[in-house]
Amino acid sequence: MRRSSVHGISGRPYRGGAAPWPWPRAFRATTAAMRLPRQAWLLAKNDLRQELRDLELVATAGFFTLVVLVMFGLSFASLGLSAQPLVIPGILWLAVAFVGALTLTRIFDRERESDTLRALLTAPVDRLAIYLAKAAVTLLVLVGCSLIVVPGLVLLFPAAGVLAEYPLQTATLVVLGSLAYASVGTVFAAGLATTSGKNVLLSVILYPLTSPVLMWSLVSTRALLEKHPDLSVYLAQLAALDVLLLVLGGWLFEAVLVGVGRGKAGADRGARSRGSRDARDARRRRR
Amino acid sequence: MRANGDQATLLGLWAPEASANDDYEAVEGLDRASIECVRAHEAEAARKTASDYEHIVWAYGVIWSVFAIYGVLLWRRGQRLRQDVQTLRSRIDRA
Amino acid sequence: MARMIPVVLLAIAAVVFPLSVKTIFLEVGIERQLGTVQKIFYFHVPLAWIMMLFGVVCGIAAGVQLRRESRGGEAIAIAAGELAVVAGIGVLITGPIWGHASWGRPWTWDARQVSTGLLWLVFVAYVLVRRYGAAGSERLAAALAIFGAVNVPITYYAVKIWKTTHPSNDVVGTLPPEMWAALWPALGALLATSIALVMIRARQERAEMDLDDAWVRAEDLGPNSKPNPNGDAT
Repeated sequence: MRRSSVHGISGRPYRGGAAPWPWPRAFRATTAAMRLPRQAWLLAKNDLRQELRDLELVATAGFFTLVVLVMFGLSFASLGLSAQPLVIPGILWLAVAFVGALTLTRIFDRERESDTLRALLTAPVDRLAIYLAKAAVTLLVLVGCSLIVVPGLVLLFPAAGVLAEYPLQTATLVVLGSLAYASVGTVFAAGLATTSGKNVLLSVILYPLTSPVLMWSLVSTRALLEKHPDLSVYLAQLAALDVLLLVLGGWLFEAVLVGVGRGKAGADRGARSRGSRDARDARRRRR
Repeated sequence: MRANGDQATLLGLWAPEASANDDYEAVEGLDRASIECVRAHEAEAARKTASDYEHIVWAYGVIWSVFAIYGVLLWRRGQRLRQDVQTLRSRIDRA
Repeated sequence: MARMIPVVLLAIAAVVFPLSVKTIFLEVGIERQLGTVQKIFYFHVPLAWIMMLFGVVCGIAAGVQLRRESRGGEAIAIAAGELAVVAGIGVLITGPIWGHASWGRPWTWDARQVSTGLLWLVFVAYVLVRRYGAAGSERLAAALAIFGAVNVPITYYAVKIWKTTHPSNDVVGTLPPEMWAALWPALGALLATSIALVMIRARQERAEMDLDDAWVRAEDLGPNSKPNPNGDAT
């Protein structure tokens, strides 16, 4: 690791707050503001580096995307040209939703297996940086899968040719929509990253909650396919939605993680923590 | 042939006034086709009203039963809690 | 004294309810375009309002629970969430019944229908996470409630834009005053019932939380007295 990463320029550990004299005030403020993106970048880079070692997430997610694309292609192969623009947005964003659910169940896997979630929480790392890093990794996986889905759609359905004609708009649409999905999903993936790993609940939560953002992306994709003049308005609204969800997700992420940490501590104490459902059920069974 | 003197139907409204001495009055200007048409129309309206009432009964029944079931669930939960308190009390009394 | 409030509310509801039914069926005329089945509307619309109201209450109470670590907030959030699910069941069944009777189509993908359905799903997820979630998932459920409440306007607006390219079946237009007069008693009866149920449920939840604490302390006090596995017969 480079010496000047989380350390100050001088090489001494920079713990935030007031930088030691004689750094000028403006420089101190900038360094403080740069701390969050830097931490997020480091965490994300760490995750990606570990991922690139065995390529598990990338390979399985990519293959899954291909399978989903083929199944959708088979299901809707016989649609006429006029019906295709009705179906293509749904295929694209359903593929994103499925891959997203799959990715999110595993994004905290490393932390869950080696029990490092609490270590992360006690480290001098901004919680928001953890959130941004995990959301960024999810976003990268989703965009990567879209790189399979969009050309696949162009190949399979003639009406999807518009996507190839306007690559900039398509790319913007895909990135914004996937970012909205990732920002909502990361919060709940974190909340369910306990050792008991009740991942069936993640699907129960994820689909209703991400339906609004998926719907907004659907509307925008449909506008793009029909070459609607209002497309830029929809994209701007989607960008605003992204900002809103990132802020909300960042605020809730910390609350959720604290709950997870506390819950694990309670489980370690033998399920006697305050209001623990396991304690209640155990009492009922004893009676 | 005496027309159907039911005043509530449309035909009744179109029928001429019953004469004082209750003699036979010919019904003018109404042929079988339009009578059947009107009857069919009335039957349709009656069917729709009956079907509507059936739907209304189902809807209201659903609302009431949903709330009633929830009330019963709350009641049972309260019973369980009371029992739990009782157990705890006796547990404390023994200790 | 405060204990009697739910009972009083339920008594009020029990009285207002027959009055409202009488108003609906005997005093208001039959609506010209929609027919007799429109009478479902007088309970369907207040139920939808109640569902939205308690959905928002649940979201706010969840926010309070997270912000201030408040048990009261948590209890209210659970109660409001459960009632939102119950009211949602009522709305989502009576709506299609009305649709089926009027137009032969129970589900029309109307903007309001879809956003109500999604909101209901979010609160069902909330209740499920609270019931079956792992030990630390109370805060997760609260985050769920908040996100759900925020999502509703987004959904409604998105579906509305989507549907402008298709014909829509917007039914509720302006109402004549005599129909408003029939709507208020129905709303009053349902609201009184709902508030009473939420108060009862919130109180039960609070009692259960305190009871858990008491059990933990009792177990701490008496380590040698084991509880009877067959229950304590008194």
